[in-house]
Amino acid sequence: MWYSGPYVFYGKIRGKPMVPEYLSFVEKYCTGCTHCVRACPTKSIRIRNNKAVFSDDLCIGCGECIRVCPEGAISSSISTIEPCIKDKLNAVIVSPILYAQFPGFMPGDVLLGLKHMGFDHAIDLSYYIEMYQYAVEEFVLENRESHNAPWPLISPICPVVIRLIALNHPNLLDHILPLRGPAALVGDKIRKKLSHAHGVAEKDIELYHITPCHCKVVPDHSKLMDELSYVDHALGINKIFPELLAKMEQMKKLELSFFPNEHFSFVPSSRGPLWGISGGEIAGMRINRVIAVSGLKETMAYLEKIEMGLFSDMEYIEFRACTEGCLGGPLTAVDRYMAKSTVQKFIKMFGIGRRLPRKRIRQLYDKGWFFSELKPSELVDVYQSKRKPFTISDMKKIEKLVSLIHGNECAACGAPDCRAFAEDVIRGEADLKDCFKMSNIE
Amino acid sequence: MSSLRKCFNVLSRDFIHAGEASITVQQLLKQMTIDPVLIRRIAICGYEGEMNMVMHGEGGLYCVEINADKIILDISDEGPGIADIAKAMEKGFSTASDEHREMGFGAGMGLPNMDKNADEMFIESEKGCGTRVRMFFMVK
Repeated sequence: MWYSGPYVFYGKIRGKPMVPEYLSFVEKYCTGCTHCVRACPTKSIRIRNNKAVFSDDLCIGCGECIRVCPEGAISSSISTIEPCIKDKLNAVIVSPILYAQFPGFMPGDVLLGLKHMGFDHAIDLSYYIEMYQYAVEEFVLENRESHNAPWPLISPICPVVIRLIALNHPNLLDHILPLRGPAALVGDKIRKKLSHAHGVAEKDIELYHITPCHCKVVPDHSKLMDELSYVDHALGINKIFPELLAKMEQMKKLELSFFPNEHFSFVPSSRGPLWGISGGEIAGMRINRVIAVSGLKETMAYLEKIEMGLFSDMEYIEFRACTEGCLGGPLTAVDRYMAKSTVQKFIKMFGIGRRLPRKRIRQLYDKGWFFSELKPSELVDVYQSKRKPFTISDMKKIEKLVSLIHGNECAACGAPDCRAFAEDVIRGEADLKDCFKMSNIE
Repeated sequence: MSSLRKCFNVLSRDFIHAGEASITVQQLLKQMTIDPVLIRRIAICGYEGEMNMVMHGEGGLYCVEINADKIILDISDEGPGIADIAKAMEKGFSTASDEHREMGFGAGMGLPNMDKNADEMFIESEKGCGTRVRMFFMVK
């Protein structure tokens, strides 16, 4: 009954399953349960011969399939490289979401714990987050007068949202701020600084980035965010969590809790942890008409509404594809709501004041230091679907087929819904007999 | 010539589902070879028209017809009708209630916006009988 002909977009290349680069897929664990098929927001997964098959060109790397897979067959393709190479200077850029994973420890302790793990430098992002926020303010205020960009402006931080826009809403690419994120800003500077301070060649410095985001792991696509072009490897928080926790417990016993004040270890402020929650990016900004949206479904609905001309009275929208923001990323170690409570504790302790002089940031902004090399509008060629568009007669056939099936979206055919199945049939990628309703009729 | 016609029912005062017809049409058009800028214009017009039906028109029928050379949006309702079409086409003129304004609607930009984005627009309306708005978009 299962159609095993050649598939145009779903299937295997040279005997290996074709899997998007964000994912690693163990075929033998897959039971063909259709959880991932239904969860995929771009409908890029099908079940063929009782195994999941992926379509690379539609994947936006949102990680929904990683979250729902009950068998553990789909996981993040995060680098398997062990951190800390000998004879090299190992520095790590710490995403502030890491602090929120340890309720009993201060951010400074976490940085110190990383040093005990073998990193020579643990670099906090708080300063660069503040810089980025100032740059956003400058951009919005400038745009208020010049109107070079359309309203509302969209935050460039979440890579999934950028890919979603490039794939489904190419009209909105001009709304994305052409600024670099904090990790890219720090990555740009720190390698030169470290090389200068330690007298080692730049190639002898291994730069890591600890992140809750599975999307920052793939080097090719990171050009978009300019982040991994400065960093050598990305590490998932869940990968280093057990070792780091053990080291920190040890430190606590020995009462080693102190924070050395040195050049590269900027003192963390609550700006960092705040960044991880939805609304943290816009908190305290000098722009009034801002909204923060988190969650993939909500993000998709908002993007559709922006395309229909809504929210043009807003100035800046912070989108996060993960619910509750980056704290809900697939590579975190603790539950997002527990982590949020830890963040709220930090905010209570530190407040949300800013430390940087505005004038200095303005100078950097005028020099163009914040701007990304790649313009968002250039992304359309990278992420556009390579599928053949339907003609009007194709569309009519699809409509007819959907009404003929008149199904209840059972997904037994391996497609997420009846319409997607009908589209597959018209494309020649599925057989009508795969649908159990149609196989009975003849 | 083959054409694809799709119709949606839009319910009166259903603010939760308002815009769904426009979103479906938008997604449909994106699967075909249609210029994204044109799709956006159609989406803007469709949404404004749909909101007009939800707020003033007491619900109605939202139809789209896709031809190789043109796309037609046909929005009709059996609501109170428009008393003075020329006046309704003026920027800033609105009969929206305070409740609508609280939700952020009623800026009086709906019809002018539709007229701006459509290649051709025809309004037929009779007081007490309803309104029919047809918008034509030429495909290059």
